[in-house]
Amino acid sequence: MNWWPIYGLKRRLTERTAYGSPVTVGRIPASRFGRSLFVYVIDVGSSNALNFEIDALESPQYNIHRFGIYMTDSPRHADVLLILGRPVKAMIGPLEETIDQIPRPFGIIVLDDCPDNSARLHYADLPNVIAEFKGVPDPSQLLGILINCLSVNRK
Amino acid sequence: MNILIGVLQREENEYLVVLKDGKACLDLSTGESTEKEYPNYPLLKDRNLLIKGDPVSGYGVFRFRYGPVTSGLREAGSFSLYTYGEKILHATIDLNWKHREMEESMTGKNSHDAVTLSEKVCSNFAVSHSVACSIAIENAMGIRANTIVRNWRTVLIEAERIYNHLHVIYKLASAAAQKVLASHLSALFEESLRINKALSGSRYLMGINQINHVNFLPDFSTIKKIISDYQNLSIHFEKLYKHSLSNPNFLDRLHHAGMLSRNQALSLGLSGPSLRACGLKDNLNGTTGEHLISLPVVTQQEGDSLARMETRAEELVNSCQFLIDHLKVSDIWDADSEAERPETKSQGEGVGISHSPSGAVGYYVLLRDNRVLHLRMFTPSYPGMHAVSEALKEQVFTDFPFVYDSFGVHFTDAAC
Repeated sequence: MNWWPIYGLKRRLTERTAYGSPVTVGRIPASRFGRSLFVYVIDVGSSNALNFEIDALESPQYNIHRFGIYMTDSPRHADVLLILGRPVKAMIGPLEETIDQIPRPFGIIVLDDCPDNSARLHYADLPNVIAEFKGVPDPSQLLGILINCLSVNRK
Repeated sequence: MNILIGVLQREENEYLVVLKDGKACLDLSTGESTEKEYPNYPLLKDRNLLIKGDPVSGYGVFRFRYGPVTSGLREAGSFSLYTYGEKILHATIDLNWKHREMEESMTGKNSHDAVTLSEKVCSNFAVSHSVACSIAIENAMGIRANTIVRNWRTVLIEAERIYNHLHVIYKLASAAAQKVLASHLSALFEESLRINKALSGSRYLMGINQINHVNFLPDFSTIKKIISDYQNLSIHFEKLYKHSLSNPNFLDRLHHAGMLSRNQALSLGLSGPSLRACGLKDNLNGTTGEHLISLPVVTQQEGDSLARMETRAEELVNSCQFLIDHLKVSDIWDADSEAERPETKSQGEGVGISHSPSGAVGYYVLLRDNRVLHLRMFTPSYPGMHAVSEALKEQVFTDFPFVYDSFGVHFTDAAC
């Protein structure tokens, strides 16, 4: 097998595509998300497809870092909270605690992968919701939403 | 080898859902002798959402909770880890954070909607769940799906196996800080999801399988491209995998991490790659269409994270070849004589088992007037979580992701 850098460069994995947002993305007043966006992901009751799509979003085809988009390990470092799924009762408390920890200003993006299922609780009165998507967006759609959160478009 | 998949209570009797020679059977429980025959019977009878909840005490031992909100796990689930410092003495796993009451959601639905909802139990096992559920409903109705439907179900399950196994190996490479390898595996993972979309219209193969019916069949002109994509995927994966096996650092991280003995695997009622990595063969391959070439059963011997990864890698390559061989002839599949639907019943009970990427998925359904009166599901991640708890004992914290990721279990699947 070729030396790693040669193997990787030959594959030319990163796409050169324009990513549009499938939903309208709001703006947070006094938002300073100019050139970078740190995203914290929380699963509150998804069916797991959304978790897999987040992993797929981090693949070289999308190469999200070139847009200044990073996944963060702590809500304390986050600009945007990405909520996966409709919360089960047990996760309402942890969700509220997480929102309390995010420094202001921040935004919330909600991905509701089971909108037809009314058996579970609806979202609490969430602050600063800037985008909501019903269903499972594929990574290109999700990337379009995140890019639209930035006020400066990097390519 | 017979595997007990689930235990259910019907009226005053207790029944066992057992996998025997690749077939799902419903047996009456015989009490004490059941426990002797199936050591995992107490575990499945209780179906406790708090796994190994008994605390551990000792000099300097403290407990800390990892989850339900942590970037390391991402899924809503928690581990209570008992430790005095570097090693994990005991791990309690709490599934309550992800309990979405899916069985209750599906009860009362008509059979078509129940199959659709079964895909949402654990979407990365969408095909496995929907196939098991639809087989259970078909058995309750007294029908058998025609050849084309059975063939496509087998094909879709293997496509599901490919992307799930890629995901597990990608997670293991990431955990071992093999960043370049992980990036390339991540690229293959995304590629496999795109192939799924070309094959079925859905990245997670959802919305395809139904009762005696598949909703989407690919345009046969695109089958050639799909076959070529699977060939490329297999070639690239084999190159990367062989290269990774030459890295002693990577191998050493996985070797002897999260060991499970044969007896432990049997007592937990494991199935799928986690059982086969302990050197035991299950007969889950028999749940697929008997008219298609059966895939070889891959086993390893050590029962550690490396063995589980090696089992998955070999299965992945076999599945790619299986798909390449069968998609080439998919345009000449004929519906057999059972395609003309015989009289169906609108009530009855049935069980179905399918071969998911992490083990056996089982469903029991009781139908009345074509509506689900009672439903129970038995998922591979439930005994898998018990295995994770068992395998974490005496491991250092840095080996936690190797143990957890190598079993390929999900809180979504375990908690239902």
